[in-house]
Amino acid sequence: MELKKTADLLDSQLKEQGIGKYKYTLSRSEKQELNLENGGFKLMRTVFNNSGSLKVFLGEKMGSASGNNITGDGLRKLAAEARAAAESASEDPCHDLAPDQGKEFFCQGVYEPDLDRFIERISEFLETTAKDFPKIRIMSAIGSFDRWEWISRNTNGTEFSARAGQYHFGIEICAGEGDKTTGLDYTGFTTANLDTPFMEMGDLRRRLGDVQNSIDPETLNGKFEGTVIMTPGCAAEFLYMMLSNYAGEGVVINGTSLWLDKVGEQVVNENLTVSLDPYDERIVMGERGTGDGFRSEKVTIIDRGVLKTHMLSLYGANKTGRPVMKNSAFDLVVAPGDKTLEEMIASVDRGLILGGFSGGQPGTNGEFSGVAKNSFLIEKGKIRGAVTETMVNGNLGEAFKNIRGISRELLCDGSTVVPYIAVDGIVISGK
Amino acid sequence: MLQDIIGSKRELFADGVQTVLRGHENRNRRVVLLKGNLVQNSRSEGCGISARVNNRGTFGFASIAEYTPEAAEQVIRAATENALFLGKHSGRDIPLPASAGTGTIPLSAQIVDVDQKTIIDLCRTVDSYVEKKYPDLSSRTVVYTEDSQDRIVCSSDAYNGHLVTPRCYVYVMMNAETKDGVPVELFKAFGGFGSFHDHFDHPEKLYPEIDGLYRKLMDKKEGVYAEAGYKTVVLGGMMGGMLAHEAVGHTVEADLVRGGSVAGPNLNRRVASELVTMVDFAHTFEGGPAPLPVFLDDEGTMATDDVLIRDGILVGYMNDRETAEEYGMKATGNARGWTFTDEPIIRMRNTCILPGKNTVEELISSVDDGYYLIDSGNGQADLTGEFMFGVTCGYEIKNGKLGKALLDTTVTGVAFDMLKTVDMVSDRVEWSSSGFCGKKQPMAVGMGGPHMRCKIMIGGR
Repeated sequence: MELKKTADLLDSQLKEQGIGKYKYTLSRSEKQELNLENGGFKLMRTVFNNSGSLKVFLGEKMGSASGNNITGDGLRKLAAEARAAAESASEDPCHDLAPDQGKEFFCQGVYEPDLDRFIERISEFLETTAKDFPKIRIMSAIGSFDRWEWISRNTNGTEFSARAGQYHFGIEICAGEGDKTTGLDYTGFTTANLDTPFMEMGDLRRRLGDVQNSIDPETLNGKFEGTVIMTPGCAAEFLYMMLSNYAGEGVVINGTSLWLDKVGEQVVNENLTVSLDPYDERIVMGERGTGDGFRSEKVTIIDRGVLKTHMLSLYGANKTGRPVMKNSAFDLVVAPGDKTLEEMIASVDRGLILGGFSGGQPGTNGEFSGVAKNSFLIEKGKIRGAVTETMVNGNLGEAFKNIRGISRELLCDGSTVVPYIAVDGIVISGK
Repeated sequence: MLQDIIGSKRELFADGVQTVLRGHENRNRRVVLLKGNLVQNSRSEGCGISARVNNRGTFGFASIAEYTPEAAEQVIRAATENALFLGKHSGRDIPLPASAGTGTIPLSAQIVDVDQKTIIDLCRTVDSYVEKKYPDLSSRTVVYTEDSQDRIVCSSDAYNGHLVTPRCYVYVMMNAETKDGVPVELFKAFGGFGSFHDHFDHPEKLYPEIDGLYRKLMDKKEGVYAEAGYKTVVLGGMMGGMLAHEAVGHTVEADLVRGGSVAGPNLNRRVASELVTMVDFAHTFEGGPAPLPVFLDDEGTMATDDVLIRDGILVGYMNDRETAEEYGMKATGNARGWTFTDEPIIRMRNTCILPGKNTVEELISSVDDGYYLIDSGNGQADLTGEFMFGVTCGYEIKNGKLGKALLDTTVTGVAFDMLKTVDMVSDRVEWSSSGFCGKKQPMAVGMGGPHMRCKIMIGGR
């Protein structure tokens, strides 16, 4: 059944059940996935899936249900489950729907794949890797083409619908020589076209080089306080942790956020600007509608170091009396700086290039502690070599106050746009 | 629960390949009370059919979000076509693994659903207890989460069966502030394998452990940062389980061995002190059920225990049918998928370091200057065996006595080096089963361990 007709059927079933306030999203998706193991094709996977997610309101009570059966019987069950959940809930006037956002159809990415060309690009990547990075082992790689259509409606009048499709390629790599093996590293990218060789997409070439150069890591002795240059992927991870810890909905509602009353104030270094921008042309599949039913907007969370907003859903906004964020915290875009990576490295007396972070989830105080993965020691402005069994410790808020530099170079992997970020005052310790 | 509508489709399996057809339903229930506010209240179900075909080392997989005879026919056809299509590009030509027997595994558990009101009432009861008894907390969260798998497996040359794995948990999280206004938190999970009524008909039974959690949080309020460095520690049982799973378990998954993990060159070599024996249990532990019993995997292999380290010597890997052939080992039922859309890959089940002979008190009293590390929030490891665990609850040990509590920290090491430093092992195992392991797909796993005295790198200021 056409998805719009499925939506009409759900509308009529909800009305029959006397439910007058609701929001839902229905989707159909298809995945074609090529799995490689140890550098060769091993498995081809095809997934046809559906999904329906429904939120209903009975007075000030809210309940939700989801499932993948969107036949007539499945929708009837979905409605009954959501209704039962709402009937069981306590009244809370803060649950609500976004006001009418109008009707709009979105067409994103590419809907018809060229699988032969996709396989050619993957094979080309394998050949280039073997030639340019002979010590690299591609433990696994996944090339997938996903396409889906969806429709989202609410009883305030909004109807968003879309057709979308994208390619994704991700690799899990290590390097080996004899019995020596490096740790694992992961990277990948999303794209809507196959125009560029995969080796030149995202940060694949750099990551392969870094891993190949990590076969003989050294263990640090003792500890020191130094500079950490976060690679873009690592910087994105730290930024998400910081935003979640200090500006996320949970910590604002429960009042444990250290940035609870800091909107409009400088909270981090003045050179840092962090946005969520679903309409940035470098983002392949930017969000178009939020979970609350708002049309997604570009949101600048930190503007030149100043906190502009907390990251609140409509519920969190109503609960705390603060503004709602019309974005579901996707599509991270960080403004570039004015230094090259080379200049940033040259300015460091002692520190690390932090390629990855394997650590415990920081508590609400922002203290982090973890292992530096795929990382390199810098001394007197020069890269000295890869390190192992090395830990980094610090505080998220303090780290981003102590930004030493932000690179001009940006990683654009189709989902995020992030530079290298160097921060001072991190405790780096070895055995 | 699923009814068997796929068994009759075996006649559609192609000749000369190995096929497994799987009906699969996942069910989730979730309620979250944040400071008494109901912020999540949801139920979800996902159901479908998948088929996987092995054509001489090249695999095809297909799944459809329907549980009907027609969908079964479609996925068998599509998976077979995928295997043949990819065979043109893969160049693989590996003899099909021999059959390890056929038969039927009987259904051994039931999934018993409860309505959402019952779940919300439980959360409100627990939340109310915490709110009234501990008004000085800065925040509190009570979470109910339930996920269950219901699978029917139908194979061309292995076992068939109907398997269900229900599990449900209540998480209690508490927040407080140090005297300097720094937030600290702790959480604990209650529950395990089974349905709501197996664990939560008497919420008052949770209260003593909730009280214990509060006392630990009050200790943590006065906590100190660990001193960074290479230290003697007593790892608690939950940390021992994390070590078994993250630091060792992943390196001995045969697909990662094939990718170059440190376990490859170390087979039949000493990788730990002779006090360490580690087993991936299928469904039974010390005569009772293992935390998350697995009787049959998604390749149709009947699940049996897999000894990985015996008296400190690495003796085996966890395998699927293909890698078992490659390494000359026995497949023991580790190939599993989490939802109907997932192809089976090698996963742990109930991975555990076996108990020793010392008491916990003996371990602690033997340490002059070190740490007692009790609970972990998360952990990761990689091919080299270098691991990291977040430590959310721990204490200093000074002259054999517990000292101040620790603020959150992280420990790291290289598994096969660190395990050689284990010189005391306690006589009891503690299990956890609430977490998910991530490896392309999520998977519910059990992990357990005794207390162990060892040396480890700890992070801190």
